[in-house]
Amino acid sequence: MVIKDVAVIIPVYNEAKVVRGVIERVLKEFKYVVCVNDGSKDSSSEEIGKTDAYLVEHPINMGQGAALQTGIEFARTLPVEYFVTFDADGQHRLQDAQAMVKELRKGKWDIILGSRFLGSAPGIKTSKVVILKLAIRFSNITSGLKLTDTHNGLRALNRHVAETMQITLPDMAHASEMLEIIAKNKYKYKEIPVTIEYTDYSKAKGQSVINAINIGFDTLLRKITK
Amino acid sequence: MIILIQILVIFVALAVIGSVLIGKQSHSARAWKKIALSLLAIAMVIAVLFPDTTNKIANIVGVGRGADLLLYILTLAFIGYALNNYLHQQHQRDELNRLARKIAIIEAINRSKQKK
Repeated sequence: MVIKDVAVIIPVYNEAKVVRGVIERVLKEFKYVVCVNDGSKDSSSEEIGKTDAYLVEHPINMGQGAALQTGIEFARTLPVEYFVTFDADGQHRLQDAQAMVKELRKGKWDIILGSRFLGSAPGIKTSKVVILKLAIRFSNITSGLKLTDTHNGLRALNRHVAETMQITLPDMAHASEMLEIIAKNKYKYKEIPVTIEYTDYSKAKGQSVINAINIGFDTLLRKITK
Repeated sequence: MIILIQILVIFVALAVIGSVLIGKQSHSARAWKKIALSLLAIAMVIAVLFPDTTNKIANIVGVGRGADLLLYILTLAFIGYALNNYLHQQHQRDELNRLARKIAIIEAINRSKQKK
């Protein structure tokens, strides 16, 4: 049974090698897939064009946070009730996304977040665990929420959240910003365990550890200026 | 006397950073920036014409040499400038992103209509 009231939003940046396979896997389970090509320099756009997914094309590279916001805004025009954000490199599992939508359907929560530390992340590097744990501390302090994983790309939102959420930080700092939005708008949130499958490909493309400094600086600066 | 300059520098530093961070880009804020810049330029001219003045002022506030005083002021001005610029840039990038997003979504809607 293909799920028809969910839009799966996939931000894409230079993922030509894997993106088509990922989209086709998702399309088997979900009718609406929205790909935001964030100014890729490779043939990602053509690869997406070969599938039945909706393609939204950023004229310039704007960052993952900006791509998510674009995807959510486009998906609002589709006849769907729920929105799932999914990574293009194939590290998320479809059954986790389905479990999240199932949780949302109960109507008790506005947003469901995936946590690899409640679930599992085979093949994760130790350096990544350390930096992620620090990031979780940091984000929990700046947002006031209590979460076990704050930088996970797998999330599910209901329409209320999709209509009101406004991500302004374009790069990876959007993960912390999203938590602040959850706190500010008082969305009812829940974390569920998910499994992240670190392939060689996703490992090679992962966030560099030093970039955490940039994210921290921007998040703090925005807190002061607001 | 040494305490005077330390209090002064810390106070002014906080004021500069605070005004950059918290200050909205209002007309008056922008005007004050221009005034401060002009004063800095005038002070520079005076300092070049009468090299002794910086030393005298430095002695009054408790800094050893005029050159040190200039360095403090310059550092402060630079931090204020850099922060101001960074925030301004972020604001512009945000506006550019909104514009680009609008174009991308309009395009995508048109494309999906053609498909049908």
